Amino acid sequence: MIKAGQIDKGTALLIKGQPFVCIDREFVNPGKGSAFVRLKLKSPSTGQTLSETMKTQDNAEDITVVDRDCQYLYNDGENFHLMLTDTFEQIEVPMGNFPDYQFLMKDGETYRCTFWEAQLLDIQVPPKVVFLVAEAEEAVKGDTVQGATKYVTTETGLKVRVPIFIKQGEKIRVNTETREYLERVNN
Amino acid sequence: MKETARFRSWMNRTIRSFFDQKGYTEVDTPILSPTLIPESTIENFATRFENPFLPSAELYLVPSPEIFMKQLIADGMGSIYQISHCFRNSEQLGHIHNPEFSMLEYYTVGFDEQDSITLTEQLFSSLLPETGCEDLRPPFDRISVQEAMRIHAGVDLEKHQRQASLADEARRLGLSVPDEPESWEETFNRIFLTFVEPNLCKDRPLVLEKYPRQIECLANMEGNYRKRWELYVRGVEVANCYDELRDQDVIERYYIDEYARLVGKRSESGSVIPDTDPSLAAKFASLPPCSGVAIGLDRLQMLLMGKTSLEGVILFPLSGMLTSGNTRN
Repeated sequence: MIKAGQIDKGTALLIKGQPFVCIDREFVNPGKGSAFVRLKLKSPSTGQTLSETMKTQDNAEDITVVDRDCQYLYNDGENFHLMLTDTFEQIEVPMGNFPDYQFLMKDGETYRCTFWEAQLLDIQVPPKVVFLVAEAEEAVKGDTVQGATKYVTTETGLKVRVPIFIKQGEKIRVNTETREYLERVNN
Repeated sequence: MKETARFRSWMNRTIRSFFDQKGYTEVDTPILSPTLIPESTIENFATRFENPFLPSAELYLVPSPEIFMKQLIADGMGSIYQISHCFRNSEQLGHIHNPEFSMLEYYTVGFDEQDSITLTEQLFSSLLPETGCEDLRPPFDRISVQEAMRIHAGVDLEKHQRQASLADEARRLGLSVPDEPESWEETFNRIFLTFVEPNLCKDRPLVLEKYPRQIECLANMEGNYRKRWELYVRGVEVANCYDELRDQDVIERYYIDEYARLVGKRSESGSVIPDTDPSLAAKFASLPPCSGVAIGLDRLQMLLMGKTSLEGVILFPLSGMLTSGNTRN
C-alpha cells in the first residue's frame, strides 16, 4: 500500500484487480482539509485510460514492477515486436496499447520497458528524441511571415510542425509527449 | 521569448489604462511581510531579516497582496488595483503552476460579487482582439455550484447537507471514500474534482458561483450559499472573487480556526507556520462594502496567447532555473 500522494508518473497500481500505470498526476489544493491528487491512469492491457481523484492521504494498492531493456524490432501493423536484450526472448504487444508509438520508436533501438510479471506495462520513450527529417515541403520563397511553420515527416513517420527553415535530411529534437518541435540539431 | 515579453508589457499597460480610466488607484504594497493572513490551504515561503541593531525576525513572501490592500481600503483609499508577484510554496511545478506568479488584484468599493462579474467582463473585452478568441469573449456563462453538481454528477446538494449522506452519493458514483472521518468539503471535493471541474464548459468563460456554505471563506452569505465565484476559461481557473465579509466576530473566528488547521497540518510536515496579526480582523471588519477579484496574470496571458501551458509565458520558470541555472540559453 502507498499513499496516493506518493504516486508518481510510472507508478503501477492495482485498481479493482487490474494493473494500471500512472501516466500523469496533478496535485490540487481545492480548499480546506486534505490536498488531492488527480491521477491519469492507463491500463497496459487494454490501453484504456482512467481518471481518479484521491486525497493524498488515501491508500492505493501499488504493485512491484521491473524495468528491462527491450530492442524494438518492427511492427506488423497490429503488434509491436520487441526482444528482451538479456534473454533474447521475443514478445509482441498490440499496437493499440501504445497508440502512435510506431511514430516515436526507431527500429533496432533499445528502450527501457516496465513489466509486471510477464505483462508489459510501459515502454519508456525518452522525453526528447532526435529524429531525421525524411520528408519536408520546400519553404515558399519570399515567405517572411514571422513564426511561419510547415509540416515535416520524420524517418519514423511522425508528422511535426516545424519552422520553415527546416530542410529534408536535417535532424530535429522533438518533445515525445506533446509531439512538438523543440529545436534543430546540428551534426 | 520576445513576443511573450512584449505581450506582457502590452497586457499590463492595457490593464492599467482600463482601471485608471475608471478612477481606480494603482497601489504598490510589500511582497515581504512579518505577518500573513492565516490560510491553511496555502504553504508559504519564509526568510530572515537580519540587522545588527534589531532583533532578527522571520519574514514571509506574501501569497497575495490582500493583507495590505484591504488595509488601504479600510483607511479610505477607495477602489484600488495592483499587479504584483505572489508566492506559494509546495505547489507543483507544472504546466499551470509556478511558485512565483503574477497576480492582478482589484477591489471596488460599493460593488458586490455580481458587479465584479460585469467589471471583469469589461476588463476581458479590453484585452481581446476584435475577432478571434471567441471562447474568451464575454458575456461569461454563469452556473451555480449546486447546478454544476446536479448536471455533471447528478448530485442534489440540497438533499445532502451532511457528510455521511454526501459520502454515500460519492460511493454511488463509484468513488472510494474511506471510512476515516472527513469533512463535508473534502467529500464534496472528491465529487467536484472527479466529475464536475473537468467537465465544466470550455466554449465560453464560465463563472462558477454561489459556493455552498460548508466551504468556508470570508465571502458574505446569502441563504445557503456564499457570495463567491471563480472564473474558468478553457477549463482553467483564472480568477476568484468575494463579496467581502465585514463581520468582526465571524472574521476573528475564521482566522482562529484557520490558524489551528494550519498549525495542525504543518507541525507534522515541518513547513512554515507564519505569524499572524490579531488586529487584522477588526481592521478588515471596518472595510466599506466592497468586492475583490484576484486574477492569475500568467494564466490569463497563456489563454490570450492561445497557449495551453505556462511554458514560454513565464520567462524564467522556477523549474527551469532549478535544473539548469538562471541563464537563458
